[in-house]
Amino acid sequence: MIARVLLRIVAWAVMTYLVLPLVVIIGASLTATSYLAFPPQGLTLDWYGRMLADTSYVAAFGTSTALALAATAGAVLLALPAALAIARHDFPGKRTLLSLLMSPLVLPHVVLGAALLQYCAALGLMRSFAALLVGHVVIVTPFVLRSVLPQLTPEQRALEEASADLGARPFETFLLVVLPQIRGGLTSGAIFAFISSWINVELSIFNTTAELTTIPVKLFNYVQYTIDPVIAAVSSITIAVAAFTIVLLDLTVGLHVLSKRR
Amino acid sequence: MTAALTGDPAVAPAAPPPTALRRALPLLAAPVAFFVAFFAVPMVVVLSSSLMAGGAPSLANYARVLLDQYHWDVLAVTFRIAALTTLAVTLLGYPLAYYLVRVVSSNALRRSCVILLLLPLFTSNIVRSFGWMILLGRNGLVNDTLVGVGLLERPVRFLGTETGIVIGLVYILLPFIVLAVGNALATVDPTLEEASADLGSSPFTTFWTVTFPLCLPGLIAGVIMVFTLAASAYVTPALLSGGKITVFPMLIFQQYSTVFDVHYGGALSITLLVFTLVLVALAGRIGNGGGNRS
Repeated sequence: MIARVLLRIVAWAVMTYLVLPLVVIIGASLTATSYLAFPPQGLTLDWYGRMLADTSYVAAFGTSTALALAATAGAVLLALPAALAIARHDFPGKRTLLSLLMSPLVLPHVVLGAALLQYCAALGLMRSFAALLVGHVVIVTPFVLRSVLPQLTPEQRALEEASADLGARPFETFLLVVLPQIRGGLTSGAIFAFISSWINVELSIFNTTAELTTIPVKLFNYVQYTIDPVIAAVSSITIAVAAFTIVLLDLTVGLHVLSKRR
Repeated sequence: MTAALTGDPAVAPAAPPPTALRRALPLLAAPVAFFVAFFAVPMVVVLSSSLMAGGAPSLANYARVLLDQYHWDVLAVTFRIAALTTLAVTLLGYPLAYYLVRVVSSNALRRSCVILLLLPLFTSNIVRSFGWMILLGRNGLVNDTLVGVGLLERPVRFLGTETGIVIGLVYILLPFIVLAVGNALATVDPTLEEASADLGSSPFTTFWTVTFPLCLPGLIAGVIMVFTLAASAYVTPALLSGGKITVFPMLIFQQYSTVFDVHYGGALSITLLVFTLVLVALAGRIGNGGGNRS
């Protein structure tokens, strides 16, 4: 019984620890003081107004969103055929290929970012949107692959064969039989891909410039020199985007984590 | 996840391999070409640059990295922080995962907790570290509280210490371990635990002989992920070190962003990569041993 009480205390302490910094940021963004204060002293939305008035923040939000959407689209276009090939064909070197496609998950992003900076410089793409995009596609593709692969089951394969036997062309089979079955995995993979791109700093930082920058990189460069409530306001917006994304995930495919229905 | 798909005769068609490859090729062309062009080749470029000095093949860059005591000191700090972070994350995350999966009976409560668990995971490292910059400051909430309740006589310095970096990294990586352990725990059949209890085991014995071994693969996957992410973290140490502590990824960043020495920077990158992969492989081997025993 004592163990149970202890477990409960530890669990709630850890939950508090998880939520505390986010609450502090949102609170500090509302302070009426010109320095960061938590609990906030007075309440104002001035800092959000300042953020919107600064076109560089708005531009960075735009770049981040465009980059994350493009990277997700790219990842889906690469991961979907790769998943079909891996699940449906027993070709030599399959395990190696799967390892290659999944390895960006464990590779230090700083190393990949540096590699892409040097490589894109040689290609004349240094510090361009294209350079950012290819890197983001590489790091988010594993998320889509990881969530689509388990849904391409052998039972699913029988349906595809039936569809082919009934005269459907491969593309029709894909559209009418495969896609509806993997929609859940594809959606959650794409959402994870989007958010991983949206929050990335370690890869982006190498190929961004003062003009072409994503919101996390801009925050990073700013936070190292000045800390003011505008930063807290921008941060709060990103927390809101995260919350929105989670709700979207919950409403579309459901949060099937930590539960037996998997 | 991959076990069900690789080498499973039910999935594999009976066709001879060359035909299978020919049929898979149209599907594989784009992903393989992309990953070769923008992942494999850039990594090879880094490797080959690191093996060149003064226009000729040479190991001079590696000598510069490995013969300098400073680099070993930085590596030691980096991996010490990563190890402490992994340990703390496991000790904090495991009970939370167990609590959420096995103790919480209300689905609504579990769901709210999952949302709160994902929220930091979906928020940038910058934003999360920034929160800790506010909290850990000299007059931040943490110091104020500790002094207020009398645990400390005067505020202590967290920013610019390894403790501060570990607190920040633990925060960032905690959700990974909770999800890894929790998902493993959710697939463990509770009747196994009931059987153990029926046979007279105490809850403690049941946990260590039934539940823990069954969740071990999930725990190991989470631990490996957390360790590699902690060892390669750049943002959190950069923000919470206050310029006083250097970790290895900072050295790499400096070489590429300010000095632009791709040869020396390449050697640093490959060094971090090799050290991380070797430690991960070791952890994986130990983990597999543990998995087989269970």
